Amino acid sequence: MVEGAPKRHHWIVRVTHWVNVLAILVMVGSGLRIFNAYPAFSRKGEIFCCYPFEHKAIPAWLTFGGWLGGARHWHFAAMWLLVANGLVYMTFVYLHGEWRDLVPRKGDIRDSWQMIRFYAFRRKDHPHHGKHNALQKATYFALPWAGAFAVLTGIAIWKPVQFAPYTALFGGYVWARYWHFLAMVIIVVLSVAHVFMVFAVDPYSLPSMITGNYDPTLSPEARNARPFYNLLPRRQTPPPTAAPPTGTAT
Amino acid sequence: MSGRRHDDVFRVIAGIDRREFIARGTGVISAALLAACDSRGPKAADKLLKYAERKNLVVERKLFRHTSMDVVQAGANEAGNKLPSYYVSPAVPVWDEATRGKWALEVTGLVANPVRLSADDLQRLPRVSNRVNHYCVEGWTAVETWSGVAFSDLARLVRPNPGARYVDFQSFDDDYHESWDIQSAMHKQTVVAYALDGKPLEPAHGAPARVFSPVKLGYKNTKYLTKIVFMPEMNGGYWSDRGYEWYGGV
Repeated sequence: MVEGAPKRHHWIVRVTHWVNVLAILVMVGSGLRIFNAYPAFSRKGEIFCCYPFEHKAIPAWLTFGGWLGGARHWHFAAMWLLVANGLVYMTFVYLHGEWRDLVPRKGDIRDSWQMIRFYAFRRKDHPHHGKHNALQKATYFALPWAGAFAVLTGIAIWKPVQFAPYTALFGGYVWARYWHFLAMVIIVVLSVAHVFMVFAVDPYSLPSMITGNYDPTLSPEARNARPFYNLLPRRQTPPPTAAPPTGTAT
Repeated sequence: MSGRRHDDVFRVIAGIDRREFIARGTGVISAALLAACDSRGPKAADKLLKYAERKNLVVERKLFRHTSMDVVQAGANEAGNKLPSYYVSPAVPVWDEATRGKWALEVTGLVANPVRLSADDLQRLPRVSNRVNHYCVEGWTAVETWSGVAFSDLARLVRPNPGARYVDFQSFDDDYHESWDIQSAMHKQTVVAYALDGKPLEPAHGAPARVFSPVKLGYKNTKYLTKIVFMPEMNGGYWSDRGYEWYGGV
């Protein structure tokens, strides 16, 4: 790593990242504990069409808060952390220009397809990319939207009477609760995939989210790394030690 | 390229090598997560959660509007006999005239004209019927039609003092009671109900009379009413004292 090299992640991004980890863990865990008090979506006296696990509780070890009232306290406290942290991050990303690394561009679908082909051994060399590969970009772009959707649907089921017309926009309380659950599922799936890829493809990026430093020669592209493949840095080809003997006679 | 070994990025942050970093890191994280799972969370957070609840109470009371009405979605089914029956006594509380005499509802406290209303007196007051949602703290909702006396009509009858800012709804279901902010009690959809879905209220749902409003979660709606007290201060409640939010507003 070159001394004085620019940080891979600005300190605001690093701080909001880890605050977000805490906020999401608390929100998902307490949300699932709240859900377990009535692990179904149907209105009493009705059947809900679109959830295959009606009345099946989420395993307790995935939940947080201990009991319904406790989980509600955690949920309604951590929601402010999630929202405030999200606003700081989004404002920073907008003002500081980091959004340029994340916003979808023409060719991203093609590039994503190439990344999938590479991970599936259908392509030999790692596709060339900027700060993030196309799949990462899509994930990091989608996550704030999923978060915003979780917050908006959360408000709808928090105040379905005070904001009745607003809750109606989501199809009423029952459906807003369903969309809120779905937003959580999207966030969990993307986050789990993200954490998996960090450890399986680019463990060297973990310190970059703490200190900000990152060695580009250890990037997945430089290592041609797939999940669990080429995790070690590539051996540098030694520079030629001596010039080849020059011919004497021509 | 400085020629540092890849392990250095980990040494930078923890002074340990990569293997140890990952081993220690995953150890610490899994221990923290395992400890957190299904727990009530750290005791030290209790103060913070209480603080958040107090702040949320201020926000929720500011959000409250008398003009915000609960609306039942078009096509929603009535819960009918699918409405659960909750009480805190060991068995369904039934008013026993032989031992307790005739049931009456006392409306008292900081009022100019305290009254004792028999069941017949209640029936003679103007009758309102509201087809509304029942929002349970557990997450389910149910559509029901509650008929009885609008709370605001009762208030007009007893003429509360300006200092009456809270109302306590007390019952003969053990020591069950819940106190409300007077704004929620005065909401147009808050009724002292003696009929459910057009039929006289049954003991399972709070006979002879109960309070019902869509602006409060189910547990705030005291069944088996005996006494309504206008008060200068809040007075907790059965579930509020057991850790659920006092406000319980929807």
